[in-house]
Amino acid sequence: MNGRPIVPGLVQGIALVSKKPISFLGGVDPSSGVIIEREQDLKGCRIKGKVLCFPHGHGSTVGSYVLYSLVKNGVGPKAIINATADPVVVIGAVIADIPMVDKVDIKQIRTGDLVEVDGGRGIVNVLKRE
Amino acid sequence: MYLTSEEERIYDGELGWAYQVSMRILTRLGELFGATRLIPIASAHISGVSYKTIGDAPMSFLEEILNSGGKVKVSSTVNPAVFDLNRAKEMAISAEVIEKQMQIIDLYSNMGVNPTLTCTPYYSSKPTSGSHLAWSESSAVIYANSILGTWTNREGGPSALAAALIGKTPNYGMHQPEDRRPNVLVEVEPKLKKEIEFGALGIYVGRMLGDRIPIFSGIDGYTETNLKQLGAALASSGMTSIFYPDSKGEVKGLEKITIEKKDLRNTIEELSTSSDPPDLVFIGCPHCSLKEIKRVATTLKGRKVSEDVKLWVCTSRHMRAKAERYVEMIESAGGRVLCDTCVVVTWLDNLRVGTLITNSAKTAYYAPTFNRVKTVFKSMNQCIDAACED
Repeated sequence: MNGRPIVPGLVQGIALVSKKPISFLGGVDPSSGVIIEREQDLKGCRIKGKVLCFPHGHGSTVGSYVLYSLVKNGVGPKAIINATADPVVVIGAVIADIPMVDKVDIKQIRTGDLVEVDGGRGIVNVLKRE
Repeated sequence: MYLTSEEERIYDGELGWAYQVSMRILTRLGELFGATRLIPIASAHISGVSYKTIGDAPMSFLEEILNSGGKVKVSSTVNPAVFDLNRAKEMAISAEVIEKQMQIIDLYSNMGVNPTLTCTPYYSSKPTSGSHLAWSESSAVIYANSILGTWTNREGGPSALAAALIGKTPNYGMHQPEDRRPNVLVEVEPKLKKEIEFGALGIYVGRMLGDRIPIFSGIDGYTETNLKQLGAALASSGMTSIFYPDSKGEVKGLEKITIEKKDLRNTIEELSTSSDPPDLVFIGCPHCSLKEIKRVATTLKGRKVSEDVKLWVCTSRHMRAKAERYVEMIESAGGRVLCDTCVVVTWLDNLRVGTLITNSAKTAYYAPTFNRVKTVFKSMNQCIDAACED
């Protein structure tokens, strides 16, 4: 799948896919990397080491700093794939150096799939279905 | 997006990580929203200061910026904190919170940011009309674009900080004349008589706007305070960054929204979640101007604030110093003129506040969730009446 490159970096990892937007401030615990947002369909999931796929971010701009803290604490996502990137997540991925691509049809990816993300070229490939 | 060779060298890390990451933030944002280049800014205003709103998350990022030599390149100010720096004890703030909050303020100060701790930076240093800015704090952004005639996007805390460090911002959105034009006419049928109707109008219209830019007709006769309240409310319930208070013939062909008397009445009712007598009376969201402090002082003249009620008038340290005479009148009547903070960004938990009364639509909109208190939305005079014994 061809998307838009946002933050460069070539990684492979297991996908964790949400249908709903994520608010990083108040929605993800910065010390454990567990999603705690009440309305989130991934509530209770750990994002550590995952290729995190969700439509876009929402909520406070401090969410960018939460992404930075997650990576600093060793519990951040390996890569981010969005349908439509928003400033909070983009800035978070930039400062935390998380490879990121958007303008990808995330419905094509399922939780558990092994995916490769090329953030520099904006390419996402599903290598192995769950 | 085009970068000059100097900007490219910063992007590649010539000046170290702080400037490199800032340049990356600005270029990624610019690319996302179709900017063609970076333009110089006159000032930056940074939100995300109160420990209550940001928590521990930004601490390590801000430390790293500072450790790699990050200093702001333009005049930069910050939003309010959890407490009045001289009255933390009186506000029942814990030692732990005091320490964390002071760390955050010190980090910004050491980057060269002026720790003004106010949401109304325009009262202490008014930017020149026509200048480009990178401001966060939605009420200040909409005031800057609509009333001061300056140009700024609605930045988040991190992008305002990046712009402050580089001294530039990408030239998209509110920096482009064609993106600032009004595209919806809001016709207000009833003549607005009470000041709280301006705030209610903002909350009501903000919800309907989406990304449209409103031009109002029928609200003439407004004061600066009315427009400040209208703007703050518009930006609370919506994503609006600019509005036009006067339609002067340039409205032909625009889509039209009509506001009826019942719309405002319903919004005012809805912004009150209680009719209980208040424990806390709060004036000063956004922070009070000199005029507003004077009005509170003169309304309080010869009266006393009840023993079991707190009256908080929030403003900037700068304005408090200018209003010394009125501050004394308010405080001798039993009120408090607090600086550096406001209700929304502080904890009321240790003060036994069950019900809050305010003349600010923005606070009435946020306080039930942000402060978990019952809220009453009334005019300034009614707020003062509720605070006083007689």
